[in-house]
Amino acid sequence: MEVITERDGETLIAKTDGRVDGTNATDFQDALRNAITPDDKAVILDFGELSYISSAGLRVILLTAKDMRSANVKFAVCSLSKPVKDVFTISGFDQIIDIHDTQSEARTAVQG
Amino acid sequence: MMSEKVSLTIDPASCPSQEQALQIITSAVEELGQREAWPDSLVFKVNLVLEELGLNIISYGGESGGPHPEIEIVITSENDSLTIEVSDDGRPFDPFEDAPEATVNAAIEDRRIGGLGIHLVQTMMDDLSYQHTGGKNRLTMVARREE
Repeated sequence: MEVITERDGETLIAKTDGRVDGTNATDFQDALRNAITPDDKAVILDFGELSYISSAGLRVILLTAKDMRSANVKFAVCSLSKPVKDVFTISGFDQIIDIHDTQSEARTAVQG
Repeated sequence: MMSEKVSLTIDPASCPSQEQALQIITSAVEELGQREAWPDSLVFKVNLVLEELGLNIISYGGESGGPHPEIEIVITSENDSLTIEVSDDGRPFDPFEDAPEATVNAAIEDRRIGGLGIHLVQTMMDDLSYQHTGGKNRLTMVARREE
C-alpha cells in the first residue's frame, strides 16, 4: 500500500494503491493525517489502484470523513473497483460519503 | 461434482503475528482461486471474510497478553458454491450473536466505528452457522456462486 498525493488548488487528491487491511490500516491513517493540511478546502481519495480493503481500512475512511465533516472540508472518494464499491455499499458508506466514478467528476463536485 | 479443498492451520507458535496469519490466508486463497478460476470478486470476498474472522480471533480469542488461539480454516470450492469453515480453540464467542452491531444507516455523526467487519461477513455469505463443540468455536459459511 502506498499513498501518493497531489494538489489541485485547495483540493488534496490522495491516491492509494494495493491493499489496505488489518495489518497496515494505521499506516494508511497516518499517511492521510500527514497529507491533509489545515489549508485544504477539499479532499478526494482516489481508489482507482486499490485492489483490496477490509473493515480496518473502512474504519480509517469513516474517521477521515467525520474529521472532514467537523472541519467543514469537502470530502469525496472516486474510481472504486466493483468489489471495493460493494464493500462501501454494504457498509452504508454510499449514504454518507460522496462516491464518484472518476477523479474528474469528483473534482468538479468538490470544487463546484 | 468437481470439488477442491484447502486446509490451513494458523498455529500461534509458528505464526504469532497478524501479518503472518494474513499472508498465509491470502496466498492460499489466491492459489485456490486461480486453480478454480474464481472471478476476482470471489477472491476478494473470501479474503475479506477470512481476514475479518481471523484477525478478530487473533485479537480477542486468547487470554489477554497470551498467545492467540489455534485457528483452522477449511475452504471447499464446488461448481455452484463455496464453503468456508473456521474453527478455533479460544474463548467461546459467536461473532454473529455476540459482536456489537454495526450502524450502517445512521447519519455520519452517529456512525460507530466498530462492528463493520462482522456485518460484511454476514452480508457477503449466504448461510452462516455457529456451534461450540469439543471445546472449539466452529463457524460454517456458504457462498453460492452467482454466475
